[in-house]
Amino acid sequence: MGEEGGSVTLLCLTASSGVPLFCRSLGAPSKHQLPFPVIGSLNGVHMFGANLDVLLTAACTTNTHVVWRVFHNSITLIVLSSEEGASDFALGRLLDNAFSAMVLILGLEELVNIRNIERLKKDLRACYKLIDSFLAPLERSGDLTQCVECVPVPHGAALQECLEAFAGAAESRFGCLVAGGRLALATEPWWQLAPQELLLLSWLVGSLPPHAARDYPIYLPHGSPTVPHRLLTCQLLPGLEACLICGPSPALHTVETELVPRFWKPLLEPLQACVSPQPHSLPHGTTLPPGVLAFLLIHREQRSSQSSVQPPGSGGEGLSPRCRARALRHFYALVAARYFPWEGSPAPPQEPFQAGFPHRARHCYVVSATHKAYAIHAPQHQLFLLLAPHVPTFALRPLAARTLQRLTGDTAL
Amino acid sequence: MAVSTGSVIVPDWHKSPEGKEYLATILRKNKRKFFGLIERPVLPPQMAADTASYKIFVSGKSGVGKTAMVAKLAGLEVPSAHHETTGIQTTTVYWPAKLRDSGRALIFRFHFWDCGEAALKKFDHILPACKEKADGILFLFSFTDRSSFDDLPSQISRVTEGSENFVKIVIGSKFDQFMHTDVTERDLAEFRRAWRLPVLRMKSVNGPRLADGRTLDGRAGLAHVAHVLNGLAEHLWYQDQVMAGIVPAPQPGTEETSLC
Repeated sequence: MGEEGGSVTLLCLTASSGVPLFCRSLGAPSKHQLPFPVIGSLNGVHMFGANLDVLLTAACTTNTHVVWRVFHNSITLIVLSSEEGASDFALGRLLDNAFSAMVLILGLEELVNIRNIERLKKDLRACYKLIDSFLAPLERSGDLTQCVECVPVPHGAALQECLEAFAGAAESRFGCLVAGGRLALATEPWWQLAPQELLLLSWLVGSLPPHAARDYPIYLPHGSPTVPHRLLTCQLLPGLEACLICGPSPALHTVETELVPRFWKPLLEPLQACVSPQPHSLPHGTTLPPGVLAFLLIHREQRSSQSSVQPPGSGGEGLSPRCRARALRHFYALVAARYFPWEGSPAPPQEPFQAGFPHRARHCYVVSATHKAYAIHAPQHQLFLLLAPHVPTFALRPLAARTLQRLTGDTAL
Repeated sequence: MAVSTGSVIVPDWHKSPEGKEYLATILRKNKRKFFGLIERPVLPPQMAADTASYKIFVSGKSGVGKTAMVAKLAGLEVPSAHHETTGIQTTTVYWPAKLRDSGRALIFRFHFWDCGEAALKKFDHILPACKEKADGILFLFSFTDRSSFDDLPSQISRVTEGSENFVKIVIGSKFDQFMHTDVTERDLAEFRRAWRLPVLRMKSVNGPRLADGRTLDGRAGLAHVAHVLNGLAEHLWYQDQVMAGIVPAPQPGTEETSLC
């Protein structure tokens, strides 16, 4: 990702014949196209193992991390990362997200029963934007946490009521507002979608070029991978979209020209407040203890998250926002993979340390030259903090507890 | 289509001092201003103008540049690589123009409906949705793809089947690549004679950028597409007038459409 000169390359091939379907790359431009022999070898070594009943999952060289995965015996995805701190956990998530993005846009059927490879290659281009956003998540973390990123909404109750009425009038139970690719509000059934679907849908809406409205066929990777639904999006304001998932009715024209003006026009001002530029994702008036450079708060039950790499008061201290985001992602990947077992995550490799104890870690911290990091695993939340190096290590725990309290408003902690 | 260029709309009005004032409502610091569905350009009270809204369906063979054309008209980044549009996407473009007869300024609101050919074939609801309550249809062909031009007649009859009230306009895209053109002036002249449809030309390439090197220069971009926007406005407004009985319907055989 730019600053450190690392690059990430994602290869997609057919599993049976090894025909390259696409290659997406970010970072070093000279590596934009991997030479065919390299692609062939990467696939070949995996196939060689498979023929001997050996599953090759990952490999490391001095500067590159490679992870392989085959989906439904039909599609092979290979990722190569030369980013510092790349982990199997993070790259595994990347592969999973990339395949689910392909299912979301093309449907599982087309990926499992490949009839025409040239046609498939052409169709896959529609997924590039979304897949590229996983290769360069910048200041985001939902791809890694599988928890949809939320933004706090001023005047939430009035907008929620309007959203419910809007979805109802469109004969849909699934409605939400997406602000800048993050979820602002959603109806209750929308929250019942699989966590990854919540995430993919808001990233999809955020990654598409701006349009007044869309009628976009989608296949929900977990709920409906073979039967398409219609995702309707209406751009209420630049950067703010009202989304609905519907069946055959209503027509886009009706939603756009009748329902949108009827329901949303009276709420122009509260809607404008949702898109006003705010680099931090904090409810109005919340402040964090000094020394907090970045935070990631996960609401465990709802599988949603809030995060910021420039919370108010953190100023220009030390690391740039981009570096903070990267450090926070690495810390999350380390902790989630090793210390905080997460419901539904791929079985984490157990540290020898952990296997020897009957209890599980609840707190975890890391101290480095540029920052300190602290994580809390609470009954309802997980909090990941990045702190300035001058914060004394003995103060990390109370400081993190206080931050969690302020963010969640829970005084019982 | 008995409309010759400049007979309904004042062609270079956007360059006049008065036109520039109106243009300022869709620009901000030389960038195009974008409007959500619940917004519209705000005019100072002394410049009050009515808005004329039109739904326009963009039709054409896969890869002729439908999405690129709409992006160019809207002042958005023209995609560098082609991929088929998934489903339907709509785009709103505001354009102030002055009527020649009454001297009245109007804000035209073009609502483009663009959809991919594959989606059209795969899902039954897409074509009816695009045609529903449409005022006009743009038929696109590419100057670099002869077959897209040859396909126009069958496309026009296929898409307009069962409904005749659309304003039909043909647009030749990728005119920037005239070195590689597959469609000659003579072909176009013959086509216009046979079909009596207006033909416009489009260069769907990104225009100059502002000093930051990233943002598109909205004013320059609008100047590039002004002839297309005026052309659309002209034909759609004229059709409205005919429908309302304000101007007589064109007499067959007496018209001559000029090319812009």
